[in-house]
Amino acid sequence: MAITLNIHRTVADKKWVQEYKVELKKGMTILEALNEIKAMQDPTLSFTASCRSSICGACAVRVNGNAELACEVLVEDLVKRYKSETLTVEPLGNFKVLRDLIVDWDPKFDRMKKIKPSLHPKKEFSPEKGCKQSIADFKKYDEYAGCILCGACVSECNKSTVDEKDFLDPFTFVKAAKLVLDSRSRDPKEHLQAVIDAGLWKCMKCQECTANCPKGLKPAEAIEKLHEATFKLGLTSSVGANHAKALYDDIYNTGRLDESKLSIQSEGLVAAALRAPFAMRLMKTGKLDPFEKVPVNPEINKIRDILKNAKEAE
Amino acid sequence: MAEQISRRTFIKAGVAVGAAVAAGTYFEWQGNNIPAAVQKGTALYDVLIIGSGGAGMRAALEAAKDKNIKVAIMTKLIPTRSATTMAQGGMNGCTGVTDSKDTPESHAFDTVKGGDYLCDQDAVEYFAENAGKIIYEMDYYGYPYHRQEDGSFHQRKMGGSSHARAAYYADESGLATVHTLFEQCLEQNVEMISECQMLEIVVKDEKLSGVIAVDMRSGNIVSVPAKTVIVATGGYGRAYWIRTTNPYSSTGDGIAACLNIGVPFKDPEMVQFHPTGLAINGVLLSESSRSEGAYLLNKNGERFMKKYAPDKMELATRDIVARSIETEISEGRGIGEGLNAAVYLDFRHIPKEIIKERLGQVYDLSLRFEGVDITEKPVPIRCSCHYSMGGIDVIDYKTCATKVPGVFAAGECSCVSIHGANRLGANSLSEVLMFGKTAGIGAPAYAKKVGYVGDKEALNAALAKWNKTFEEVTARTSGPRVVELRDKMAASMWFKAGVYREENQLQEGLKEIDDLIKEYKICYVGDASRNYNTAFMNYIELGNLLLVSKAIIMGAIARKESRGGHSRKDFPKRDDKNFLKHTIISKVGDEFKTEYRDVVITKFKPAERTY
Repeated sequence: MAITLNIHRTVADKKWVQEYKVELKKGMTILEALNEIKAMQDPTLSFTASCRSSICGACAVRVNGNAELACEVLVEDLVKRYKSETLTVEPLGNFKVLRDLIVDWDPKFDRMKKIKPSLHPKKEFSPEKGCKQSIADFKKYDEYAGCILCGACVSECNKSTVDEKDFLDPFTFVKAAKLVLDSRSRDPKEHLQAVIDAGLWKCMKCQECTANCPKGLKPAEAIEKLHEATFKLGLTSSVGANHAKALYDDIYNTGRLDESKLSIQSEGLVAAALRAPFAMRLMKTGKLDPFEKVPVNPEINKIRDILKNAKEAE
Repeated sequence: MAEQISRRTFIKAGVAVGAAVAAGTYFEWQGNNIPAAVQKGTALYDVLIIGSGGAGMRAALEAAKDKNIKVAIMTKLIPTRSATTMAQGGMNGCTGVTDSKDTPESHAFDTVKGGDYLCDQDAVEYFAENAGKIIYEMDYYGYPYHRQEDGSFHQRKMGGSSHARAAYYADESGLATVHTLFEQCLEQNVEMISECQMLEIVVKDEKLSGVIAVDMRSGNIVSVPAKTVIVATGGYGRAYWIRTTNPYSSTGDGIAACLNIGVPFKDPEMVQFHPTGLAINGVLLSESSRSEGAYLLNKNGERFMKKYAPDKMELATRDIVARSIETEISEGRGIGEGLNAAVYLDFRHIPKEIIKERLGQVYDLSLRFEGVDITEKPVPIRCSCHYSMGGIDVIDYKTCATKVPGVFAAGECSCVSIHGANRLGANSLSEVLMFGKTAGIGAPAYAKKVGYVGDKEALNAALAKWNKTFEEVTARTSGPRVVELRDKMAASMWFKAGVYREENQLQEGLKEIDDLIKEYKICYVGDASRNYNTAFMNYIELGNLLLVSKAIIMGAIARKESRGGHSRKDFPKRDDKNFLKHTIISKVGDEFKTEYRDVVITKFKPAERTY
């Protein structure tokens, strides 16, 4: 069976989509298809790859709009998944393209530097004697050490597409969660404050990162753990934390959300005042009634029980 | 005065731009993968490290401790794509935290015995004394070690080790090593010269001038003056191309560059073959397949290991199993043909739950690449080149210095030599860390003492030469294709200098490689763009692999005995009388020359290697 790969090409200032045909073979991955095209048809097609066993992260590309490790995903499976013998291969999203399927990692590493990306060990530890850590504490962060920096998560991140400048890449949140949850750290706040400043509360919670991680690492969950940590460590003086606190208080007090107050509680009076035009428009269309009295939910005691149980379960 | 200078500068700059435009060789720099000073050619490094794997990054961190030392890492990819990520088992080092009976002497002995007595024992002792310290340091750097009850890292026992001494992170110990080091490099702002393929180390009259490289993004050739260079470019398993477990990047770049400046290649013939690579592409199926009880079958369904190792059967050492598999194939009891001929690895008698629980990765890889569900069918496997024991001749294990002053080497590209004729599991990660650190102390000390002795003219000449080469080779419109030559090389290496070797075949192989070296001079690259020209990169890598291949064969011809990874059919026994020696291959002009150097023996008298 002949498969058509429509590959998005970029060379210097030129951009185009080029069609290639490869004969499907047993065990053929996207990477092998790319290798075969480069070897037999077109030596100018460029991409990066190194280990071909899903551990170095060099070969991630986008196939039919989803990030994949090229060395890992079988052409045959993709043909079945998309019910089509034509596949589109593009460079990862939310990266600048250097050439063809090769992308620029520099801005990602620059942003990673913001979180103070290495362990700052406690005073009692030393390079000569190492550190101590219980097995249970190790288990709190160990899976996050399995990130291979392939970039699949950020490729599909909606927040990064809107604006990546006031946000971190999902894999950087994974690294941050690893550092914050590591009991060897002398003060997790050193990393956490930096993460808050760099946009922790701006995640849209679309779960694309989790859905696309080839290692099953759940970056979105790492972001939630960082959210939790801001409360545990008392770093709550930020819009995001205030917003979460306001939601909690509303639910606790009335069992309902009072959206007319949410912005004031989250951002403070001055910042919220800047949203006045928006509020006016909402009022005009009947979406917001400042004089509405939010009635207390008759089942308020049950709601408070749920909150209490949830707290205890943590 | 000020006006004069600015006018002069103005004119000079104008001339430079004019020349560049005329030559058509300078392109706009994109991004900051390369520091501005390197782009301009004004950077001078105390320590320039080539390669960003475990050895390179560890060396950089050590050198960067002294804030007066200017250090950078150059890498042809980006820093986290190295072969180090692929290490699974762990890092050996005697600490006694898990097994209090372990001693550095025991580690040294296991290493020497495993290496079939071709190790330099003084270097091995130094290694074993210090390897434990490296594990503690990595703990402090943030390595995610698996823990034991007392809160210390846990150590496990690897094949060929007498004690539990490998600290680890899951079966991804190398991945954790690379990322722990990378985190430190980021935080300490270690300069990276990323996506830059090294082309040449420039040495004139034994004086180091610096390094010439091509910036992949712009295609510009850059010259980077340096007081010292640490070569940390990894192994050369890609000489066997598809029959290797190594990444595409393990192309012996640093070894070839060193050969060209007169640094010898030590013990090149010592290559380790792993018995269980997938037949189709050489990807490694973990050693745990055999330890969980998988059978090896030939095409008649016979458990052939009973002929070669009746007691241990499939659990015999890597080299014995590898040779048995190749014998079955060469005597016609394998399946398939050519480089993909194979025998079977059979898991069907192992309970499905155990396969799912302990051999998940083996299950996935077999299904993915061979389309075989190992709970239902046996999977075709064959040996695959796994590790390069030989490498750049390091003459001082306490500094990692080579024969050329200012040039240092560490990691798999180097031969210190602690692995001798065969490497033990979990000794490679400790080696890259420990000798990376050693080079990271040795090189800055030398830079401080000697300073820059290089010759900018020599650098400029080399730069011009490489610009010309680039234009010339990428402009060709015909000739044998790079991949064609590469595949021929792999076939020659596998069939003439593979698991089994013998005189006639090696001589034929040598001739074939020599012919390929001639064809290489007229080969077709197929891409003339300066923008991220990976076809040109592959061309450079092939040139390096051809030099390495030639040295492997020459070393194999000269060593008329069998030892560790080197098995001669015509000389099946170890010969300590004549070959307790290192092969030292040097390049003189276009010719290679073979010499010997005695192995250093301290405590451990050579004995027969039995397990």
